[in-house]
Amino acid sequence: MAVTVPKAAIYSRLGYRKSHTQIPAEHLRQVEQYIDQALELIELKGSAVVMPVESIDETTLRLENGIVFESAHLAGMMKGCGSILLMGATAGKRIMDEIQSDAAEDNLSRGVVLDAAASEMTDEALDWITGYVNQGLRRNAKRLTEKRYSAGYGDFALENQKIMYDLLKMNELGVSITGSYLLIPEKSVTALAGVFSSSP
Amino acid sequence: MKKKEGILQQFQGRVIILDGATGTELQARGMPEGVCPELWCLDNRECIQSVHEDYIKAGSDIIYTCTFGANRFKLSEYGAANIEEINTRLAGLAKRVAGDKCLVAGDIGPTGRFIEPFGEVDFDEAVEVFKEQARGLLAGGADLIVIETMIDIQEARAALIAVKEITDAFTMVSMTFESSGRTLGGTDPVSALITLQSLGADAVGCNCSTGPDGMIPLISSMQPYAAVPLVAKPNAGLPKLRQGKTFFDMEPNQFSAYSHEFVSSGVHLIGGCCGTTPAHIKTLKKSLAGLTANTPGMIPASALSSARKTIFFQKESPLVIIGERINPTGKKDLQDELLQGKTGLVKRYAREQAQGGADLLDVNVGMPGIDEAETIRAVVKDLAVSTDAPLCIDSSVPEAIEAALRVYPGRALINSISGEENKRDNLLRIARKYGAMFILLPIGGKKLPKTTPERIALIEDIFKAAQGYGFTKEDIIVDALTFAVSADQGAAMETLQTIKWCAHDFGCRTVLGLSNVSFGLPQRVWINAAFMAMAISMGLTHAIANPLSTEFMNIKRASDVLMRRDKEAKGYISHFTGSKEGSGSGPKGLSSEKARQTISAGQRVYNCIVEGNRDEIISLIQEAMKENLTPHTIVNTHMVPAIREVGDLYEKKIYFLPQLISSAETMKKGFEHLEPLIKDDERLSSKKGKILLATVKGDIHDIGKNIIALMLKNQGFEVIDLGKDVPHEDIIDAAMRHKPDIVGLSALMTTTMVNMKEVIDLSHKAGLTCRFMIGGAVVTRSYADSIGAHYAKDGVEAVRLAESLTA
Repeated sequence: MAVTVPKAAIYSRLGYRKSHTQIPAEHLRQVEQYIDQALELIELKGSAVVMPVESIDETTLRLENGIVFESAHLAGMMKGCGSILLMGATAGKRIMDEIQSDAAEDNLSRGVVLDAAASEMTDEALDWITGYVNQGLRRNAKRLTEKRYSAGYGDFALENQKIMYDLLKMNELGVSITGSYLLIPEKSVTALAGVFSSSP
Repeated sequence: MKKKEGILQQFQGRVIILDGATGTELQARGMPEGVCPELWCLDNRECIQSVHEDYIKAGSDIIYTCTFGANRFKLSEYGAANIEEINTRLAGLAKRVAGDKCLVAGDIGPTGRFIEPFGEVDFDEAVEVFKEQARGLLAGGADLIVIETMIDIQEARAALIAVKEITDAFTMVSMTFESSGRTLGGTDPVSALITLQSLGADAVGCNCSTGPDGMIPLISSMQPYAAVPLVAKPNAGLPKLRQGKTFFDMEPNQFSAYSHEFVSSGVHLIGGCCGTTPAHIKTLKKSLAGLTANTPGMIPASALSSARKTIFFQKESPLVIIGERINPTGKKDLQDELLQGKTGLVKRYAREQAQGGADLLDVNVGMPGIDEAETIRAVVKDLAVSTDAPLCIDSSVPEAIEAALRVYPGRALINSISGEENKRDNLLRIARKYGAMFILLPIGGKKLPKTTPERIALIEDIFKAAQGYGFTKEDIIVDALTFAVSADQGAAMETLQTIKWCAHDFGCRTVLGLSNVSFGLPQRVWINAAFMAMAISMGLTHAIANPLSTEFMNIKRASDVLMRRDKEAKGYISHFTGSKEGSGSGPKGLSSEKARQTISAGQRVYNCIVEGNRDEIISLIQEAMKENLTPHTIVNTHMVPAIREVGDLYEKKIYFLPQLISSAETMKKGFEHLEPLIKDDERLSSKKGKILLATVKGDIHDIGKNIIALMLKNQGFEVIDLGKDVPHEDIIDAAMRHKPDIVGLSALMTTTMVNMKEVIDLSHKAGLTCRFMIGGAVVTRSYADSIGAHYAKDGVEAVRLAESLTA
């Protein structure tokens, strides 16, 4: 997966504020170097699947394959959608190993930059997936909801991460899931978006 | 199939009208959701034929077959296997409706899979998939081929190569760009144009993506470099949402209002994509009646592209540096890596050279015992993803050059094609097929041409052969040949004469492998740099060199200014002011030598921490101690106030996180150096408290906790860090054993945040009296209040809180 590097988002995550922050040239060069190193270590992989919706009521989203998601927030967001897009992405293991090693070896200033780059690149991967799917949908006058939703948000229990993990075959991307439903490597995410149908 | 030359002539220079949307039009005429459009059309011929008929009636000069997804990958999802036959039948349906009234373009869309190097589908497999579809379309009577809605330049290349390998039919390629102005794969319109027109596309452009207003800037950016007609097929705006349903709402008149702007932007073929209807095409046709297209007649620009960047070679531009380091000759570590099939070092060399100022990267993997074609293919695939710099494929083996060019998702430079007759024509054919530029090496037989007249004869001879393959002087860069002055001191002057002739008489670009000139001499960099400066003055445009040589690159920058090739010296000024003064001014950045001499040793330690300069802290502390400052004074009077100032700067957002951490690490390094030297009764840790830190059970996100541990230690707190995903019982046990003043807990997620409360409840049951401090991405002050804990939003606040709780 080749995504555009979200430099502004990486700097913003690191606390950079255009109107306030002053970075000496040498420091800036070093941060840029760390970002470049992060990009070499990040191995973005993604997975996505579109599934038809059977029904949506106030609190429940039912898919045609029998999957049921209980969440009033999610059901509200998906109202009117004929199908949903499930998506997942990971930055891979190498970058996380490097961040751990930086933390252990007193090189946290590099670790925080790598961490921010991995977070934003993973998020960018989901943007890329939604962009890609939207392109296909456009031909049928459909489109995705502008926001996406993840297990652990609001009333959408984190336990649902396991269902999404299985449907997305995240194991084939080298991602595992813990007993407390966390994805390993750490910079791995899953999310849902709705597909609005075309007007008749 | 129509003869390629006749396609444009048939319309006598007027703007050619394409059709509008097929998918949304079929839906409007009853195609149900979720079906395969191609298979549905075969079962509902009257429907697709009516769509074709309506577009022809509306004025389309060319209609597209309904075969957008009729490739092996997509049709297999619906159980269909007879790919060629399906394409033949659908092309036949369109052709029967079209008759003599219009032309039929066999439509090839994306496979929905990603092609190497950006995906897992083998490039040659993708080529075969597209060939299968193209054969069917041609058999069904398609007059031309259109490859459309491509988001991946590599997939567009695979489709174009496939078509070109089986036919010389007129072939259009149109890409789809996002609102960012790039495809989802990161390709900009100009790079797409340069890559595709050099590869043999007969027309290039954009479709889908946006409405007409958003597409005009994309087309306009292509126009100055287009040597082929431009195509535009915008949507009828973007799908809008109303009452839970989506629709396109741009009316035909609104849509057509942009038509003249498209034509003035260079568009020769125009139609509509998603949401457009026969009514849109009808008004479009009407609005363009009698308008003549701007037929491009220009020679393709001298330019190279990667998947994400194009470099143009203007004769008055600064010297182009071709980084020479990706070459195993004399590099044992690189040789070992390549033999093991690894590319880590190659990628590092690529990154370092690009940062050092290389515009292009030479790639050479030739060495004994290696499969050069296989290795260069793998290296080029990796570099295509990891660097934006276009590549120069350097090999003496034609098979290796072809293997590299075939998978490279851009327009590359071949290094090189000489006059060796058995190789020359083969390499010219390869260069032509893949649209590459090439370095013309004026070597013919066994004897090297020592004099300028000998070289000129060879250059003219090789170029004449290249012209036979359609190359122009814009496609070549002549190697003026560099020989060692240690063997023949007149060699350099001969090279300079050759450059002068190329630049001023023949009119082409030149390149030198500069380092050969200094072979056998000491301190080679000076000979190389001086030779380069002289060569630039003769008109040299490219140099194969090491961009990591500061002396060399600085003389190049100076020469570019002196020869007026660095306009207004912008590059020179930017480089040198950027590296000395910086683009941002750090607070109290007293790092200059003058400032060093005028401030005290203690202040220098202070500044060093504020600036986060880890490399200098020990030596500055040593200097301070030589000036009789005690370790205790250095820590308390200079280092602690410095780190507090950093905290203030961070809170005011003047510093961002990497600066805060760098300063904290500098402080830590300095403190670790001084700590053993501080007298027992002066130790900071005796004055501060003890803090136990843990990321709670179920949570593995601990970078924030690690930052807080570092900052607390710097302030003299004793920190016991239990790590991440720590069970409640382990935290309670540790708290009972160590008796900390404060227990700090972190959690990133709402689902693990609740464990903080459980730990605090357990601590009450265990009779612990310590205070709790919590933080993490989702943790709030009100949540902390609700569970009887104190809240710190970040490391700086955690330090202040810890100090107030232990005061």
